[in-house]
Amino acid sequence: MVAAAAFVGLVLGVGALVLSLALLSGFQAHVRTRLAEEAPHVLVAPAGRPDFTAAEGAAAKLALLDGVVSVTPVVRGRGWITARGQAVPAVLVGREQRDGIRLDPAQARQLSILAGEDVTIVSSRTRLSPLGPVPLTASIRVTEVAALATGRKQPEAVLPAGMARRLFGLPEGGATGFELRLSDPEAAPAMALAVREALGAETTATTTWQEANRPLLLALRLERVAIFATVFLVVIVAGLNLAATSAVLAATRRGDAAVLTVLGASPRLLGRIFLFAGLLLGFAGTLAGLGLGFVLAVVLDATHAIPLPAELFALAHVPFRPAARDLLAVGAFSLVWSFVSSFVPARMAARVDVTEALRAG
Amino acid sequence: MPGEPLLVAESLARGFGEGEGRLELFSALSLTLGAGEAVAIVGPSGCGKSSLLHLLAGLDRPDAGRVLVDGKDWASLAPEPKARWRGEAVGFVFQMHHLLPELTAEENVALPLLLAGVADSAARAQARELLARVGLVRQATSLPRILSGGERQRVAIARAVVRRPRLLLCDEPTGSLDAAHAADVLDLLLGTARERAGALLLVTHDPGVAARCGTVLTLSSGGLVPA
Repeated sequence: MVAAAAFVGLVLGVGALVLSLALLSGFQAHVRTRLAEEAPHVLVAPAGRPDFTAAEGAAAKLALLDGVVSVTPVVRGRGWITARGQAVPAVLVGREQRDGIRLDPAQARQLSILAGEDVTIVSSRTRLSPLGPVPLTASIRVTEVAALATGRKQPEAVLPAGMARRLFGLPEGGATGFELRLSDPEAAPAMALAVREALGAETTATTTWQEANRPLLLALRLERVAIFATVFLVVIVAGLNLAATSAVLAATRRGDAAVLTVLGASPRLLGRIFLFAGLLLGFAGTLAGLGLGFVLAVVLDATHAIPLPAELFALAHVPFRPAARDLLAVGAFSLVWSFVSSFVPARMAARVDVTEALRAG
Repeated sequence: MPGEPLLVAESLARGFGEGEGRLELFSALSLTLGAGEAVAIVGPSGCGKSSLLHLLAGLDRPDAGRVLVDGKDWASLAPEPKARWRGEAVGFVFQMHHLLPELTAEENVALPLLLAGVADSAARAQARELLARVGLVRQATSLPRILSGGERQRVAIARAVVRRPRLLLCDEPTGSLDAAHAADVLDLLLGTARERAGALLLVTHDPGVAARCGTVLTLSSGGLVPA
């Protein structure tokens, strides 16, 4: 009965931990997928010079790299967006095949602008006029107000590449950088190395999507460790229950331990026998808990059992993604804790007072 | 004809408790048992017969004196070699059989062999052979709870002698049995002791059982005296 309670406790503890980690993995995988979908996987920028010229053929060289799915030239600079007497500083990004300007909701809010209205872009570059240097300006229609990729520190306004080149004084075909999308987003760090090798390590700088979102990814990892440590407390309690069970087992089987001693069992062997009994319980509980957590996670995910308001979370249901490394980590920690919990009671059993135990019956 | 001494107990002292409440069981008890000897020790309840057996088997430590089995002093052995030597040299029969309840009769008899590292199949074969010798081959797969008192004690005797120990120590082996079963068990003990063990030391409070052994000693006033 006592052993059954310890077993159930361990099963529930391990199962809860697996389920919690699967839930966390589900949400974190969603965040990473969105990051990888929306943000460029590798940003390529010039180092020690303002831009890439068309004559360099950098885009063609990048397109030839194995694993590169697309190369998008961008013209990036700083300026102001003005409308109705208001002006907001902005990071301006020029892209090919873009018609009109896309504003971030924060920018649109500050300017009280809606899609379909016109704004004026004021560049940080100037041209000489009879009155002296004046900033370069251009008028453009707002075609879209939408948030950009997750994890960007500053809001960006996206406008046609040709207009951006004029505003920032770049020649035809010039670019201040390239955005690469890869067939395997996780291979971005290796690709960054390959890019610097292809374009010249000293004149090229790269930023991977992991580097650009390092604080967020670090927070996700910390969250994972915190959840593991918190929910593992349940397993710790279950392990203490196992220790109590092992102690009860050692006490109730004291007579048997004494008989085994009389038959030639050494204290070390007795300790091993009782340790094995505790470990067997720990192993069975851990295995059953892993199975329970895994099956629950798979079923809850497959049946979309817990719905979410999609407009708030960009997800229609709570995702569960049980990962092999989580199962291995939970299993290993639980087994180690089972060992620790069974060790002391096993040592107690090994030091049985035979005379006393036989007298007690 | 007694042979080389198998068991030597020299000036044993053992007591329990502290101060005024201390109970001295014996203070200078000596005993020598040679190969081929069968000795019965009698005495009133609580005089220390079982405690003496535990000392002789190396299960308890004397307050003074020493015990040698086949020349080896229990006190000189570390826990591991001591356990090995006990399993090899001493067979022990309890009054209350003390069979492990989850194991069948065959498994109980095979247990000392398994603890000594004998392969399972070989250990079971030897156990079956011994169970046949004590007339219990049909009960080999039975659990102790469905055996009678006499059958359990026969299984316990088979377990005690399965490793062919040179010294067989029995603590009131017929104490829980009726007269008919007690006589059977005693026949078996003396027979198997003669056949498989070098010497038999039996503790009993029953004068009839003691009389079946060659020598009868009384534990009295802290020492052993001929009955």
